[in-house]
Amino acid sequence: MIFRAVEDTDLIRQASRGSVESYNLLVSRWEKRVYNYLLRITGNREDALDLAQDVFLKAYQNLRKLEDPERFKPWLYRIAHNEAYSLFRKRKPEVDSEQVEPEATDIGIAVGATSVFPIELSLAVASALDRLSPDQREAVVLKIYQGFKFEEMAEILSCPVSTVKSRLYTALELLKAALAPISPRGVS
Amino acid sequence: MSCSPFDLRDYYLKELTDPQQRQVEVHVKDCPACREELERLSLTQAALFSLRDEEIPQRIAFVSDPVFEPSTARRWWTAFWGSSGRLGFASAAMLSAALLISAYTRTAGPTNAAGVSSTEVDRRIQQAVYASEERQTTKTTQLVHDLAKQAESEHTLRLVAESEARFAKEQQFAMEKSVGNLVSPASN
Repeated sequence: MIFRAVEDTDLIRQASRGSVESYNLLVSRWEKRVYNYLLRITGNREDALDLAQDVFLKAYQNLRKLEDPERFKPWLYRIAHNEAYSLFRKRKPEVDSEQVEPEATDIGIAVGATSVFPIELSLAVASALDRLSPDQREAVVLKIYQGFKFEEMAEILSCPVSTVKSRLYTALELLKAALAPISPRGVS
Repeated sequence: MSCSPFDLRDYYLKELTDPQQRQVEVHVKDCPACREELERLSLTQAALFSLRDEEIPQRIAFVSDPVFEPSTARRWWTAFWGSSGRLGFASAAMLSAALLISAYTRTAGPTNAAGVSSTEVDRRIQQAVYASEERQTTKTTQLVHDLAKQAESEHTLRLVAESEARFAKEQQFAMEKSVGNLVSPASN
C-alpha cells in the first residue's frame, strides 16, 4: 500500500470547493510561519495574532481567485504584507504609506529563555533588527527566516528584484557590523 | 570589493544558477578574502537564527457557518463551471444519453405524427388483429353454413329428381300394363 501525504495543493483545491476542514488543515500548516512573519515586522504579539486571523480569513474568501495553487505561499504572504501595512497606515494615516514604520518593537520576540543561544546574543539580534528600516527588516525576515527566493519576495513586496536585493544586502551589511562583536562563535 | 566572478551574497543565499554556483565554489577555494566574507555572512545568519520562531498564542480555525458561506447548490455550481474537466465530462455524458435515447426510440419505432405512443400503437394493432380475426371467423362460419345448406338443398333436389324419375317410371309401367291388357283380350 502506498501512502501519499496530502499536499497543500490538494487542500487548496478542496478548500476552494468549500471544504472548511481542508482549509483548517492548511491553516494549521501555515499559521505559525505567518504569525512569526507578522510578529517580526510588527513587533507586537497581539497585532500579529489579529493580523494572522485576518490574513487567513481574507485568504479563504479569495482562495478561488488563486489560479495556481503552487503559488499559494507567496500569495499568502502578499496578503499578510498588505494587511500589516494597512494596519500601519490606519495607525499613522498622515504618513505616506512608503514611509510607514511599524511601532517601536521593544521586540516582543522570544529571546533566550527556551533558546540554545545565550540571551545576550538574542537581545543583540533583536536590537539590531529593530534598528533596520521596516523595508530592510522585512527583506531580512522574508529571506533569512522565511526562505523566499528573490522573485517571490518581489511578488510579495510589489517591487523589482533589484530593489529587494538592495534592501536585503544593505540590511545584511548593517547586521554584520552590529553583530560581529558578539557572534555565536564569540560567545561561550 | 569582492573578486568573486559573481556576487558572494547571491552565492551564499543560493540565488545563482548551478554553473554559476560552481564557478564561485572554484574561486573561493583559492581566495582567502572571499572565504572570509562567506564566513562573516555565515556568522551573521547564525546570529539571526538565535531568534527562534514563537508558537502562536492561539490556534486559528474556522467553522462552517452557513450565514457566511455560499449555499451548497451555489458552491456546486461555482465548482462545476470552474472545472473544465467536469464540463467536458458532463458534455460527454449528455451526448451519450442522447445517443442512447435515440437508439432506444429507433428500436421501439418512431412516434407517429399524431403523437400516439408506441404502446398505444401496439394496442391498436392488436385490437385491429382481433377484429380482423373475428370477422374472418364469422365469414368462415357463414361460408360453412351456406355450403352445408347448399349441399342439403342439392341433396333434396336430387331426392326429388329421383322420386320424380321413379314416379314417371311407375306411371309408364302402369300405362304399358294397361295398354297390354287392352291389346291382349282382342288378340285372344
